[in-house]
Amino acid sequence: MKILAAVDIGNSTTEVCLAKEDDVGKIRFLSGAAVFTTGLKGTADNVTGILSALEEAATAANISLSQISHIRINEAAPVIGGAAMETLTQTVVTESSMLGHNPKTPAGYGTGVGKTININHINHANTSDPYIVVVPESTNYETAAKLINQAKNINITGAILQQDEAVLVYNRLNRKIPIIDEVRGIHKIKDGIQTAIEVALAGHAVRMLSNPYGIATLLRLTPEETIHITPIAKSLIGAKSAVVMKAPYSNPAKPQKIGKITISGESIINVDFNQGAEMVMQAIDTAGTISNISGEPGTNIGNMLANAVKDMSALANSNAVHSPGSSHCHQEVQIRDLFAVDTFAPVAISGALAGETSLEKAIAVAAMVTAGRLPMQEIAKTLSEKTGLYTTVSGIEPVMAALGALTTPGVSLPLAVLDLGGGSTDAAIIDASGTVASISVAGAGELVTMMIQSQLSLTNRITAENIKKYPVAKVESMFHIRLETGEIIFYEDGINPRFFGAVVIMAPEGMIKIDEDRPIEKIVSVRQDAKRSVFVKNTTRAINKLLPMSMPSQGNIKHVILVGGSAEDFEIPGFISTAFADMGMVCGRGNIRGTEGARGAVATGLIMAYAGTHK
Amino acid sequence: MPKDLLGQQDNTILSCKNGGHTTKNALPDEALVTLVTKIVLEHLQASQPMPVSPSYRPTEVVIGVGPAFGTGAAATINGLPHSQVISEIKAGIEEEGMDIRIVKVFKSSDVAVIGKEAANLSGSGIGIGIQSKGTTIIHQTDLQVLSNIELFPQAPLLTLSHYRQIGKNAAKYAKGESVTPIATQNDPMIRAAYQVKAAIMHIKETEKADRNKETIDWGLV
Repeated sequence: MKILAAVDIGNSTTEVCLAKEDDVGKIRFLSGAAVFTTGLKGTADNVTGILSALEEAATAANISLSQISHIRINEAAPVIGGAAMETLTQTVVTESSMLGHNPKTPAGYGTGVGKTININHINHANTSDPYIVVVPESTNYETAAKLINQAKNINITGAILQQDEAVLVYNRLNRKIPIIDEVRGIHKIKDGIQTAIEVALAGHAVRMLSNPYGIATLLRLTPEETIHITPIAKSLIGAKSAVVMKAPYSNPAKPQKIGKITISGESIINVDFNQGAEMVMQAIDTAGTISNISGEPGTNIGNMLANAVKDMSALANSNAVHSPGSSHCHQEVQIRDLFAVDTFAPVAISGALAGETSLEKAIAVAAMVTAGRLPMQEIAKTLSEKTGLYTTVSGIEPVMAALGALTTPGVSLPLAVLDLGGGSTDAAIIDASGTVASISVAGAGELVTMMIQSQLSLTNRITAENIKKYPVAKVESMFHIRLETGEIIFYEDGINPRFFGAVVIMAPEGMIKIDEDRPIEKIVSVRQDAKRSVFVKNTTRAINKLLPMSMPSQGNIKHVILVGGSAEDFEIPGFISTAFADMGMVCGRGNIRGTEGARGAVATGLIMAYAGTHK
Repeated sequence: MPKDLLGQQDNTILSCKNGGHTTKNALPDEALVTLVTKIVLEHLQASQPMPVSPSYRPTEVVIGVGPAFGTGAAATINGLPHSQVISEIKAGIEEEGMDIRIVKVFKSSDVAVIGKEAANLSGSGIGIGIQSKGTTIIHQTDLQVLSNIELFPQAPLLTLSHYRQIGKNAAKYAKGESVTPIATQNDPMIRAAYQVKAAIMHIKETEKADRNKETIDWGLV
C-alpha cells in the first residue's frame, strides 16, 4: 500500500489531496486541504504553505506525514495575474464655485438665493437684498440662531454652517429657512458672492440645482454661463442638499490624459483608453495571440501597467536568483493579456469646501504575464529536503484540471473547464478523443475585490474581500437581523452589542462589522455588478477564444464545468450558468470526486494521472 | 426653584434677626430653627419630583445622571461643568432629530446601572448613563447591565465635543442607523494620575446613592 500526495500551487491558494493506492493498484482518495499560498506562486517560499496544507490533509486522513511515499507537484502554468486601477476624470473646483454637499442632517427644505454674508457682519447688511448667512465654527448654534432672529429686517433666505448644527439652529429660528451644515472650508467663502442653496424634502433629491436651467433661473445666468454650469448640475444629481456659487472661474470635471496602449499581436494595434473599456477589449480581441502589451510611458495607463507588472517582475528576478543555471536569467516580463472594465471611484474634489468627493470615471485593469517557466524543480527539491519524502514535478495544469473536473458526477466528454482563480481565469476544452486545448486570460477574483473596495470607498481591502465572499445583513435589534434578501433571522441568545444597528457581513465564523456607513442595497448592487462585469465577460471571452482552436463546431460542447476558488462563490457560478444556459450549454459548479465542490481539481487530476500511468 | 427657596430663607432669617434687634417680639433661636425647617420642608415637599415611568415614544433618548451629578459635584473629573456636558449631549441628540428626557438615578453610583436604568425608561430603548465624574455609557434596554453599546471609561480624556458626539451616536442608535463608534484617546497613565480624585468623586456619588430611592425626572438648575 502506498500513500500519494498531490500539490497544486495557485496564485492565491495551495491545494493538496491525499490518496491511497492498494496492492492491486486501486486508488482511493483520503482527504484534501486548501491553504493560502505563501509567497509568490512558483517561488521556494511556497514550501511553507505546502507543508501546512500537507499536515492539515494528513491529520484529516488520520495518518502521519512520514507515511506519505510520493509527493507530486503540479507543473504550474507560468501565469501570474495583477490588477490596478486609475481614475480617468478629475473634478477641480476653483474660486469655490460649486458645492454638491450631502451632510447627513441638513435642515428645512426648499431653495434660497442671495449674497453670502458672514453672520458677524450681519449688521452691515442692507434691507433691500436677499442674503445667505455663513456661520463659522466660532459662532455656536445658540448665537447663530439669536443673530438670525434679531435680523428681522434683513431678508435671509438660507444659511451655511461650518459645524454639524443645522437642525439645532433650525429648531431655534422664528422664520424657517433651508440650512446646510458640515461645510469644512467655510473660511474660503467671501462675502457678497451670489449663491443658491437647496435642501430636498425627505426621500427626494435636489431639483433646482441638479438642473442646469434651474441653476440658470436661480443665479440669472446667461446661455453661455449655463453651458459652463452643466457639469456642476450633473454632479449634483441625487444629492440631498447643494450649494452653488456664482464665481468668476470654474473648471470642473476636467478629463485627464490617460494615454494609449500598444498591443503587439498578429498586428500592432494602438488604442486610447479615453475611448473606454469596451473599445480596449475590442482591440484586444481583434489582436489575436498577443506577444506583449505596453502603455504609453508617463501616462496614467503607462503607470498602471507598470504597477500591475511590478510584482511579476519581482518574481522573474527571483527566478533568476533561485535558478542561476537557468537560461532566462534576465527575462523580460511580457504582458500577454489585459482585461479592462469601466468602473468609478469616489475621488476628493480638489478645491472643494466641505471635503466632498465626486464619483469619477475610472478604469480597472487586470494584466497577465507569462514568466517563462516557473522553477518548480526548486520547490520540489526544497520540499524533499524538508520532509525527506520523494517529490516529483509532473502534469500540465489545464490537463490536470480537466481530469479532475471529469470526476464531477454527470459530466461527459467533450467538455470545457473554467478555472476561476484569484489572478487569472483559465479555460480548457477537451474533445471526445481526450485532446486538451487551454488558455489563460487576465482578470478574476482579485479584480472584483479591487472594484468593490474602490466603488464603496472602503479603507480596508479585507473588508472588500469579505463583502465579495459573503452576503450582508442589517442588525435591526439585539435579537434579530434582516438579510439582504429581506429575510429575518432571530437569535435566541442575543447579538453582540458592538454589531447593534450595523451592516454586517455574514461570514461562516461569525458576523463582521462594516465600519463604513454604506446602505445595504448599494453594497449588494456594487458586489453583483463587479462579479458580473468581470466573470461573465471573462469566461465568455476565454471560451470564444478557445472554440475555434479546438474543434470544428461549437455545438459539440455540452458541458461547462466551473472549478477553482471563485467557483465556490455564492453567486458567481449562478451568473455564469445563466449566461451559458442562454448559449445552450450545461454549465455549473464542479463537484470534484463528488465531494470536494469546486476545489482541488488539479490535485485530484494529478493523482488520477498517476493511477493512469502506473497501471 | 431652590434659588427662590434660598432667597426666602434669607429673607425670613434676616427679618427675624432684624426683628430680634429692633423689637421685643424676637423669636428665640429654637423657634427660628423650627420655622426655617418648616419652610424648607414645605418647599421640598411642594417640589418633590414625581418618579418617572417608562415611555413608548420611539423618538426618545433618555439621559440618566448619577446621584451626585449637578448636586454633589458641579463639574466632571477634568473640570467640565455638568451643565455644559448635559447641553452638549442634548445638542447632539437634537441635531439628529430625536427627543430628550433627563432622569436622575439614585439606586446606584455605577455607570452601567445608571445607563441601563435610562435605557429601560427610554421609548427607543437607548439610554445614556453619566456619572458626576464624567464617565459615560451608551446602553440599550435589551442588554445585560454589565454589557453596553459604547463605553467611555477614561473620563479625564473626554472633551465637550466628545459629549456632543456621544449624544449624536446615541440618537443614531435609536434611529437604527449604522453607527461608527466614537474615537477617543487612551492613556494608560491617566488612571494613576487621577486615581485619588476619581476615588473621592466616586465615594461622593456613592454617598448620595440610595438603593430604595426611585429615579426622578430631572432638569438642570
